[in-house]
Amino acid sequence: MSQPTRHPADDLLLDYGRGVLEPGRSLVLNAHLGVCRACRAVVRAVEAVGGVLLQDLPPSEMAADALDRALTKLEVGTAAPAARPPQPSDWIRIPGEVVDAARRGRRWAAPGVWVANVTGDARRGPRSYLLRVAAGMAVPRHTHDGGEFTCVLKGAFEDRGVVYGPGDFVACDEGVEHRPRVTSDGECVCLIAADSPLVPRDLIGRIFQPFVGI
Amino acid sequence: MYAIAVDHGGHVSGGGVFRPPGRRLVNEGPHAAGDAFAEMIAAIAVRADREAFAALFGHFAPRLKSYLLRLGAEPALAEELAQETLLTVWRKAATFDRARAAPATWIFTIARNLRIDALRRSSRPTFDDDPFDAEPPEAPDAALAIAQSETRVRAALAALPVEQAEVIQLSFFADKPHAQIAEELRLPLGTVKSRLRLAMGRLRGLLGDLA
Repeated sequence: MSQPTRHPADDLLLDYGRGVLEPGRSLVLNAHLGVCRACRAVVRAVEAVGGVLLQDLPPSEMAADALDRALTKLEVGTAAPAARPPQPSDWIRIPGEVVDAARRGRRWAAPGVWVANVTGDARRGPRSYLLRVAAGMAVPRHTHDGGEFTCVLKGAFEDRGVVYGPGDFVACDEGVEHRPRVTSDGECVCLIAADSPLVPRDLIGRIFQPFVGI
Repeated sequence: MYAIAVDHGGHVSGGGVFRPPGRRLVNEGPHAAGDAFAEMIAAIAVRADREAFAALFGHFAPRLKSYLLRLGAEPALAEELAQETLLTVWRKAATFDRARAAPATWIFTIARNLRIDALRRSSRPTFDDDPFDAEPPEAPDAALAIAQSETRVRAALAALPVEQAEVIQLSFFADKPHAQIAEELRLPLGTVKSRLRLAMGRLRGLLGDLA
């Protein structure tokens, strides 16, 4: 697969490697990393730093029987690694959790548009979801109360003059007003993590939003 | 037989802010400790070696507990997750690939993912969603570079300007926003962020071929 051209900033890769990103955001980064060799290299470096710093930490005292208890739990024989559920073949490689979500709950929000919740609560707080929009359609003009991360899983969309294709990552800052539009011949599917529900900016969007639930 | 390697922290190269004061230096070669840990993991994979497990536990569990405490875990949870990390090392020992990561790096990522799962109480372990799983095998020269990564990371960290090293060290295992780190260092937030960015840029340059 060709390499994506739009990448997360280094500080996001640092936070991913440290393991402190909000779970939905972490999944969006995970999807990008699955297809991006360059960003995997950065995360690898961050994890190597983590390994070194871990060794440099002063040890904390463990319970006196900690090792004995661990030894009693050791089982012989290796567990088979969990099988990855099969995913749509024309999407980029996605985390198993996202595959599960896509199968579990696709909700048609409008003709040509479905949404599937992945993490979090659709009504408040941070969440992540899959958004499928048919060819030629646009998401009604809207803005965000918080930031928003997107990774394109299939197809392409245009936003403020830039076209994003499979594997591309885009971070949208709070307050940015936009109207992303599908440019691929077929559907466009994205994994999106948002801090809060989007805020529609025009009448159509305001009518549309309660049904879409994004 | 493992105790000797375990007592020593595996520290090799020059000074810098990453070395806690009073640490002993090892006399073995630069990769001695990492190699010893890799041997222990292999011993677990090949012959379910409980002695090797005990040695890894003795070295890593107390440090993992410190790591988890720093990130805000309650002591009981930190203890449990440190223990669970080592049990995962036991179960997944056969999947450890020393050409891809140093033992400490691998163990760090296991603990990191277990912590995330504990926070989420997710039914699907993050560990099984590793985007690195899909990678093709490493070319031999790249594998060698990664096998030496611990030494190189130490060198890269030691080569950072002190003020950049300081923000990395303060922020890496800290469950606090950059704003609070800025306050502790009595620096503007923008300065902390730009130092982090500069440090990442340098580490990226120094370690970029770990891909």
